[in-house]
Amino acid sequence: MRLFAKYNRVNLIATVIIMLFTGIIYYQAISWILNNQKDNDLNVEEQEIFNYVKLNNRLPQIFESNDQQITFTPVRPNSVKREYINTMYFKKWNDEQGYRRHNRQHKRDGEFEAGRGLITSVTVNGKYYKILIVESKVETEDLIRIIFFITISVILFLLLVLMVINRLILNRLWKPFYSIMNELRLFNIADNNEIPKLDTAIDEFRELNRAVLAMTAKAKYDYKDLKTFTENASHELLTPIAVINSKLDTLIQTENFSERQSKILSDLYGAVSRLNRLNQSLLLLVKIENRLLQDQEMINFRELLEEMIAQFEEIFQDKNLKVTCTLSDKEIYATRYLVEILLSNLISNAIRHNYNGGKININLTDESLVISNTGADLALPDEKIFTRFHKSSASEGSGLGLTISRQICENFNFSLNYQFQSPFHIFTIEFK
Amino acid sequence: MVIEDEEGLRESIEEYFSEAGNVCETAGGYQSAMAKINLYRYDCILLDITLPEGNGMDILKTLKENNYPDGVLIISAKNSLDDRLNGLNLGADDYLVKPFHLSELMARVSAIVRRKTFNGSNLLLFNELTIDLLAKEVKVRDIPVKLTRKEYALLLYFIANKGKVVSKNAIAEHLWGDGIDMANNFDFIYSHIKNIRKKLMEAGSNDYIQAAYGMGYKFTEQ
Repeated sequence: MRLFAKYNRVNLIATVIIMLFTGIIYYQAISWILNNQKDNDLNVEEQEIFNYVKLNNRLPQIFESNDQQITFTPVRPNSVKREYINTMYFKKWNDEQGYRRHNRQHKRDGEFEAGRGLITSVTVNGKYYKILIVESKVETEDLIRIIFFITISVILFLLLVLMVINRLILNRLWKPFYSIMNELRLFNIADNNEIPKLDTAIDEFRELNRAVLAMTAKAKYDYKDLKTFTENASHELLTPIAVINSKLDTLIQTENFSERQSKILSDLYGAVSRLNRLNQSLLLLVKIENRLLQDQEMINFRELLEEMIAQFEEIFQDKNLKVTCTLSDKEIYATRYLVEILLSNLISNAIRHNYNGGKININLTDESLVISNTGADLALPDEKIFTRFHKSSASEGSGLGLTISRQICENFNFSLNYQFQSPFHIFTIEFK
Repeated sequence: MVIEDEEGLRESIEEYFSEAGNVCETAGGYQSAMAKINLYRYDCILLDITLPEGNGMDILKTLKENNYPDGVLIISAKNSLDDRLNGLNLGADDYLVKPFHLSELMARVSAIVRRKTFNGSNLLLFNELTIDLLAKEVKVRDIPVKLTRKEYALLLYFIANKGKVVSKNAIAEHLWGDGIDMANNFDFIYSHIKNIRKKLMEAGSNDYIQAAYGMGYKFTEQ
């Protein structure tokens, strides 16, 4: 969740709760005030009745009124306790218009409305009467409703404004942060581009920017240091290897070797060429890991694969390997040199770890390249084989082949995985 | 002409080429190299890029600015594509990465010299063998010999290194490149060589290829 979504959520919930709370209090306060007012009206009415009774010594006539009903009921003396009640007010339709207005819902001659009543009592000529004065609360209810709607609309409007403002302000406030993030994401240690210095008034972001700048500068410095070291080391190593190689080439020109001497020389040749390959592989690995080889182009993968397979033709024959290829057209965007190394590594692995008369299947589809070969009937440790210098004791390889292959795949966002389905060892490259 | 600062390598190259009947001069540094290229013309200059007193690329630039016709083969420890393209763009004829086999170097130099000297002619003659370099055809006294691509490459390699023992490692790397990590399996080299000998002898050629102490082969002129 983004910070500002989280913040907005908390903010919104708090605002809504507070608003609801105030709304309820507000509602209660208004209805209390209005009830009070109604009660006052009722009191006035009661007083009027008392006055009338005192003056005329009889009950007043009852008038039909729109919002007031008074009933007198004779009851047992002193059985009535004076109290205010919330009750229903039965409103009669008194005109055509009103009748028509309501006759859809009600086929009656009136309807119930909320009302406020006062029960009191009076004694007229020794007779004890219960008085019930009921007033319609429709107006008050309407008033409350209107106030309530206004409040709700204000709340909603406020929320909306809050949200928009939060969004705008937070987006603007966090802009430097996102720009730093973006720079970090684009940061490539092998590039020469520096992360730009950010101009912001906010201390936290300035601090962050400064920390990021310092970190990247350090990383770049270390990286450059390491790169120079590898380059120097490789150069220093290559020259002596070149000398050994040339001296060996010169040495075998001098005639007359015993069988023993020539055996030693052969071994020397083998060791030097292995040393050389190892050195080259290490260099290559460093280069791929640091993404120094980047000139990518569209490659007809199928053609390239066919070329590679043709290259290995003699070696297949030499080991009596049965090679089955199912290739479909596939184009990839990659560095040709690296793809050649990748294929050559995988195919030579499939040969090296095969037995005489074994099988190799190469299957290229639009999604994946699968190279499977027969070999030792034992699954290889899945993840270990991709680590540096992991190799079987019998292997003549450098122990870097699969590491390099996986690095190359990662370089182009492919995935390289290993599976064992007896009798096949299966390496799968999935293009994404 | 060999321009190389590493003494051991320089001597080996000089010896190897001199024994094959070439006239070889050497320079161990930038200054002496510059002095020599401005005085004499060479068929081919082997140029190391990293020299103690200067950059080999500058020597190459001087050569090209003065329109000297010398062939140039860059030998460098730097195996980066940029360097390679840089060198070739500046007018070098070939680029060889250290370490290399002397026989490989010899084959490359022969190719450059051949291109420079036999302008227009694509025929390479060796006793009764005639090789058409453009059509990639081999004839023994007008009898065509059908060789596979690898066998043809191998034959050229041997002719360039005639009289020399060529190690199996060198042959493997020449045929398959050093990217292919199969150099310890030499059986298929043996079968290639067996095939070449058989095909050439069937066409009436002499047997020139000899095995040398189990380490390599020698193409002898006799």
